[in-house]
Amino acid sequence: MIFSRELWIEIGHTVIANPMRTALTGLSVGLGIFILVVMQGLGFGLQNGVQQDFGDEASNSLWIRTNRTTLPFRGRQANRSIELRNADKEILTEKLFETPLHSARRMLWGSTIQAENEEGRFAVVGVNEDYDQLESIPLVSGRWLHQEDVAQSAKVCVIGQTIVDDLFKKKNPIGEYIRLRNVTFRVIGTFSRSGSRWTNSMALIPITTLQRVFEGADQVGRVIVSTGERSVEEASAMASMADGALRARHAVHPDDQRAVRVEDNNEQFAMYQRIFMGIRLFIWVIGGFTLFAGAIGVANIMSIVVKERTVEIGVRKALGATSGSIVTLIVVEAIALTSISGILGMIAGVLTLEFVAPFAEHDYFSNPAVNLNVTLTALGVLVLSGALSGLAPALRAVRIRPIEALRYE
Amino acid sequence: MLSLRSIEKSYPLAGGQLPVLKGIDLIIEQGEMVAIMGSSGSGKSTLLNVLGLLDNFDAGSYHLDEVDMSELSERQSARYRSRFLGFVFQSFNLIAFKSALENVALPLFYQKIPRRERQKRALAMLERMGIADRAHHLPSELSGGQKQRVAMARALITTPRVILADEPTGALDSVTSNEVMDVLREVNSTGITVIIVTHEADIAARCDRTIRLKDGRIIEDGNSKVVIEPTAHGYTPDAS
Ligand SMILES: Nc1ncnc2c1ncn2[C@@H]1O[C@H](COP(=O)(O)OP(=O)(O)OP(=O)(O)O)[C@@H](O)[C@H]1O
Ligand SMILES: [Mg+2]
Repeated sequence: MIFSRELWIEIGHTVIANPMRTALTGLSVGLGIFILVVMQGLGFGLQNGVQQDFGDEASNSLWIRTNRTTLPFRGRQANRSIELRNADKEILTEKLFETPLHSARRMLWGSTIQAENEEGRFAVVGVNEDYDQLESIPLVSGRWLHQEDVAQSAKVCVIGQTIVDDLFKKKNPIGEYIRLRNVTFRVIGTFSRSGSRWTNSMALIPITTLQRVFEGADQVGRVIVSTGERSVEEASAMASMADGALRARHAVHPDDQRAVRVEDNNEQFAMYQRIFMGIRLFIWVIGGFTLFAGAIGVANIMSIVVKERTVEIGVRKALGATSGSIVTLIVVEAIALTSISGILGMIAGVLTLEFVAPFAEHDYFSNPAVNLNVTLTALGVLVLSGALSGLAPALRAVRIRPIEALRYE
Repeated sequence: MLSLRSIEKSYPLAGGQLPVLKGIDLIIEQGEMVAIMGSSGSGKSTLLNVLGLLDNFDAGSYHLDEVDMSELSERQSARYRSRFLGFVFQSFNLIAFKSALENVALPLFYQKIPRRERQKRALAMLERMGIADRAHHLPSELSGGQKQRVAMARALITTPRVILADEPTGALDSVTSNEVMDVLREVNSTGITVIIVTHEADIAARCDRTIRLKDGRIIEDGNSKVVIEPTAHGYTPDAS
C-alpha cells in the first residue's frame, strides 16, 4: 500500500490542495533542520578555528623561554637579561630528562630575503631538525632539515609558502639559491600551513648556521622539547623540573614569572579540550532544543490537521475506506511532508554555510562543515515525530464510528 | 433485501442512557423507494445510520441479503459500504479540497480501480447528473443543488444496491429539491433501493412507501399516499 502509485497521487493531491497546512508543517520541520545545520556548522567552524590556532604546536610539548628578570634575587638586580644558550639546551635535553624530540627556535625578524629578481622582508628562524614535528608543519615540496645540516651548519633553508609566492611566483624554488640577510642559502624545501600567513613567512635554517653566520654567539632563543609518551602529570613534573633547573642556573627568583617560563602544552591542550567540550555541549543543547521545538511544532500541527480532517475521515469511511487505508494516508503524508521539508531545510542550511563561510574566515573561525550524521539523525527524529504525531490522532479518528467522525465539529 | 428485527439503540447520556430506537422491525425489499418520516428527534437519522453501517446498535439483528451485519469486522463493513451502499447527506459532505470530479471518483479509489478509469466513470456520472461542465470546480464554487448532484453522483458511481439519503433536500429550495427527487426516482427505476429521511410531505409523497417514526418506534408503515394523508390534515399520534 505504501508504495502504490495511487496512494502517492492521493497524498500529493492532498498536500498541494492544502497549501496552508503544507506550508506550516514544512516550515516547522524545515526551519528546525535549517537552524540545526547552521548552528552545527558555525559551532564546528568555531571549534575548527580554535583548533587550528592551537594546532601550530604539538600538544605534547614544553615551550621554554626566558626574558628579563622582574625580581632581584641573591644580590642581583631586577631587569637582568636571561638568555638560553647551547649549554642550557644541552643540560635540559641530555642531562635533565629524556626527550624524543627537541629544538631551538631563534627568530631574526625583518630579515631581507632576496631571490633572483624579487626581495622581501620575512623572518629567518634557526631551528633543529625536529622542529617540523614539534610544530607539525606540513612540507609541500623538497625535504626538511636533516641532522647533518644542523651538525655541519649547512647554508640551507626551508621556506614558507608566502615567501615562495612572493619571491618565486610560479617557479619551482627547490635547489635555487636565495640570499638571507645577504648570505647565500640553498632552498631545500617548502612548507605551508593553511590559514597561517605568519608561519608561512618564515625561512627555517639550522640553528647552528644562524648562530655562526648571523650572530657569532650561542643563544638558542626558545627551547621546545617533546614530553613524549608522558601523562599530563608526568609532563607537568617534567616542566617544573626544567623550570627549577633553569632558575637555579641563572639565579632567578622562584616567583619571577617572566624571567623563566615553561609552558606546558599538555595542560593547555587539556584546557582547549574542555573548551571544545563546552562548544560541543552548547551545540548539542541548542540543537536539542531546536529539535524538540520542531518536534512539538510538528506534533501540534498534525493533531490539528487530523482534527480538521475528522469529517473528511468520516466521509472517506462512508465511501468505503478502511481504517487502515486512512491511517496509512495520514501517516505517509506526514512522513513525506516532514522528510521533504527536512531535506529542503538541510539543503538551505548547507547552502547558507557554503555562502557564509568565505566571509566568515577569521582567526577563531574556519571551515564550518556540516555533520551529516547529526543532521540525518535530527531529520529522522523529526520525521518520526511527524509520523507518530500523525499516527496517534489518526488512530483515534478511525476508531470512532463513521457517524461520529461525520458529525465532528 | 434489508431486514431489521427488534433493533434497539440508545446513546450514552450524562446520568444514564437515552433510548433512541426502541425495537424496530422493518423489511425493505430490493428496488423499493422508501421515505422515513417523523418529528425531530424521533430517531430517523439514527435508523438510517444503522442501515448504512455508519453506526452500531445495541440489540436486535440486521440482515443485508441474508448476511448478519452485527457479525461484521470493521474491514468487512467498510467493504459493504463500498460495494452495497451509497450515501447522500443533507450537508453534502463533499471533500472541500477536491474538485467535483475527484469527489465523485473517490469511492472508486477504495475499490482499487485505476485512476484513468475512475476519472472516466466519474465524468460520465457527472454528465448523467447534468453538471459535467462543473467537473473541475471545487465544492465551494458550486450552488447547493449542484453540490447535491455531485454528492449523488458520488453515491451512485459504485452502482450500489441501496442509496441512503438523510434529508437530501433539507438545504435546498423546492425547485432544486424536485430536481434531486427526479434524479432519485430515476435511480430507483434502475432497481436501486432508495431510502430517504425527510420532513417534507411532498418529498415523501414522491416515494412509494412511507414509514413514520415516533419516539424510536415505527408507528405507521404503508403506501405513501395513505400514510402521508393524516400529516397534511393534522395527524394524530394515537391513530395507527
Ligand atoms: N451522538 C449522539 N449522542 C447522544 N444523543 C444523540 C446522538 N445522536 C442523536 N442523539 C439523540 O437521539 C435522538 C434521535 O436523534 P436522530 O438524529 O436520530 O433524530 P432525527 O429523527 O434524525 O431528528 P431530526 O429530524 O432533527 O434530524 C435525539 O434525541 C438526539 O438528541
Ligand atoms: Mg436527522
